[in-house]
Amino acid sequence: MSDVVLELDAVVKRFGENVVLRGISLQLHRHEVVCLIGASGSGKSTLLRCANLLETIDDGTITLFGQSLMDPRIDPDLVRRHVGMVFQSFNLFPHLSVLDNVMLGPVRAQKRKGPEVREEALSLLARIGLRDRADEYPDRLSGGQQQRVAIVRSLAMRPSLLLLDEVTSALDPTLVGEVLDLLTDLARHGTTMLIATHEMNFAKDVAHQVVYLDKGVLVEKGTPEEMFSNPKHESTRNFLERVR
Amino acid sequence: MSLDPDVIASEETPYLFASKRSRLLVGRRGVVASTISTLVILGIIIAVLFAAPGGATFRYYFFDPHSMWVSWVGNPKLGIEAIRSGLLTNIWMFLVSEVLVLFIGLALAWTRMSHSPVLLPFRILVTAYTDIFRGIPLLLVVFIVGYGLPSLQFGFVSKLSLATYGVIALTLTYSAYVAEVFRAGILSVPNGQLLAARSLGLTHASTMRRVTLPQAIRTVIPPLLNDFISLQKDTALVSTLGAVEATRAAQIFESTNFNGSGLVVASLFFLALTIPMTRFTDRLMARDRARRLAVAS
Amino acid sequence: MRSVRLALAGVLGASLLTGLSLTSGVTAQAASTTIALAKCKTTIATQEHTKGKLTVATDNPVYTPWFVNNTPSNAKGYESAVAYAIAAQLGVSKKNVVWVKEPFDSSYTPGPKSFDFDINEISYTAARAKAITFSTSYYDVQQSIVALKTNAIVKKHTPQELKSYQYGDQIGTTGLAYINNNIKPTKPARVYSTLDQAVLALKLGQIDAIVIDTPTGQYMASSQIVVKKKLLATQVGQFPSVGEHYGLLFSKGNPLASCVNVALAAMKANGSLAALQQKWLGIYTSVPVIKP
Repeated sequence: MSDVVLELDAVVKRFGENVVLRGISLQLHRHEVVCLIGASGSGKSTLLRCANLLETIDDGTITLFGQSLMDPRIDPDLVRRHVGMVFQSFNLFPHLSVLDNVMLGPVRAQKRKGPEVREEALSLLARIGLRDRADEYPDRLSGGQQQRVAIVRSLAMRPSLLLLDEVTSALDPTLVGEVLDLLTDLARHGTTMLIATHEMNFAKDVAHQVVYLDKGVLVEKGTPEEMFSNPKHESTRNFLERVR
Repeated sequence: MSLDPDVIASEETPYLFASKRSRLLVGRRGVVASTISTLVILGIIIAVLFAAPGGATFRYYFFDPHSMWVSWVGNPKLGIEAIRSGLLTNIWMFLVSEVLVLFIGLALAWTRMSHSPVLLPFRILVTAYTDIFRGIPLLLVVFIVGYGLPSLQFGFVSKLSLATYGVIALTLTYSAYVAEVFRAGILSVPNGQLLAARSLGLTHASTMRRVTLPQAIRTVIPPLLNDFISLQKDTALVSTLGAVEATRAAQIFESTNFNGSGLVVASLFFLALTIPMTRFTDRLMARDRARRLAVAS
Repeated sequence: MRSVRLALAGVLGASLLTGLSLTSGVTAQAASTTIALAKCKTTIATQEHTKGKLTVATDNPVYTPWFVNNTPSNAKGYESAVAYAIAAQLGVSKKNVVWVKEPFDSSYTPGPKSFDFDINEISYTAARAKAITFSTSYYDVQQSIVALKTNAIVKKHTPQELKSYQYGDQIGTTGLAYINNNIKPTKPARVYSTLDQAVLALKLGQIDAIVIDTPTGQYMASSQIVVKKKLLATQVGQFPSVGEHYGLLFSKGNPLASCVNVALAAMKANGSLAALQQKWLGIYTSVPVIKP
């Protein structure tokens, strides 16, 4: 199997008159962590949603696991069973317990057997230290705990690619750390991830590649060392100045 | 351009104590104010009931204990139907109607929100159905069903009891309202929930069933309850077909004995039915709201 | 010959004497009524709802034989005639009699009335008399059965058979009470808001029979229940009297009632009330009597 998990080639996405992605091209390899940085409205979220077909693109191609997502034979639901997504606002299901939240996808979407999924879900929760909260409802958990459950909910699907959309931006600063620690742990274990983030230090530590978007244009990309110490474009430099 | 320093920062020390009048309205003193106000209002009501020139007649007409009792138990010899047996008709009518309305309303809403191309003609039909039955007054529907179906002479459909025709009319009309309530509830589920569910690879139907509907139903419990209380009261409309239920029995008592105390009795029992329901739902609502707000959107 | 003449004289004399004593009794009564009436003519001025007028209320629509053509002011129909006769007794001219419409259901509710009295076939009951004031009787009532000609009840109406039919009636009427109190059918009677609805139910075959006072029943059967000029219904029979009577409805404690009662007493005494009954209701009372 090819090493390239996700490939975008000149992807264009419009919302009405507004062009949000202007010809994005990038590659993501297995076990690689790529961080997307850029101001709000630069197209980071849209890019992620195109990758798991929550949005359809207007031009260009996206290839996932070597198969073109533009092919009419593609089953979007099937795609999403292999690509996990975690959101800024957690989006845990409030009417289900923590454990049921984690089990819903594997049991109902992947049609796996209940008891087996339960085992795995509980061990995942144990891994993030929340096994004893398994039967509680999300409203009883702190923001950081909810977000970690949301990440675990995606992991329970055994995804080949994990998409994370500014998952710490809505958190209290004191809770950001526990989430980033989990993501760092996942990166160390070789999870393939595409992460949109404002946390520059995290990106420096964990990313193999950093991609900077400005108003839908991929301005610059490179290793964290290249991007943070020696950005080539003025736009990149201005942005990094502001977030420092 | 700089700001005038006096405008932004005054040298004077601000006075922080509330005025005497506002102190009377707040905290423990506020209790005094509220007690006085309640007593005054009560006093006015009692004064009107007892001191008004028509007070005695009013009290005899609506609050005569003997009449209340006779209207409650009935007196067939005088043509007076018992309110207590009439109430049973109301109760079975609204219980049956509510169950039917829940299922039919949900089915209508689901059909309307579906994406399947096969269901397109049904989507159009559902829209027409909700328009029609929210547009025609319930009383007219009762007449059309209650006089129309029997005159068709169409087998057993034309030989049902009057209360059954009432249930049919109520179900037809209220399903339309409830379908719209469900639809609004479905649309009110935060978009993030749908995104999360679809991101897990759940199909549209599965998302609807496992994520959207459970949340939508919790959201719509208050407006549903409103509709059901309405429905409960509207069971009285079947009286226009000649069926005897609680309000009808009270009316019969009124015109037989020229006394309206039965109406008060019937009202009290309707309240006894609805108030526990509303309090219980308040509690459900509060619990669900807490859960929803905690998971942001 | 002489004995015959003597006998004749005796008979004549006796009858004269009896006649004299009778009429003197009647005259005595008539005298006191006349005095009372004269007094009333002056007192009613203060008691009238609208001074100088006698305001009479009735329902809408109203039917033969109580009124004619739904026009109370034409003085035709038993109740219209009685109202004008009472007015005449009290010295109120015909043009000063004013008619207002008052649905039955609001005629007895508490609060000031827009009329002096309401005439609408309202039966006296002790319970009702607690809420309003009734005049003395202006008509003694018997109930009757009206049904479609094709219904079994026309031929089969023994007391036992009467219990098996589906009856229907207007809410709060003595007809309904008669069904429940005297006929006691096995199936509960259906109750309708208006008489029109009960009649419609009869036409549609939803009920077998309506129980209603004889004159109204006769009118219904002979003119009201028709399809394409074909009479569909018939008045099966009337029941024996159970002491029911109609009274005029006054607001509770209305002083005008006593004067109206005086007027009614005068009309009964001089036979004018009976004459009105004969004129407007006579042809309707030759209906066979059946037992409940």
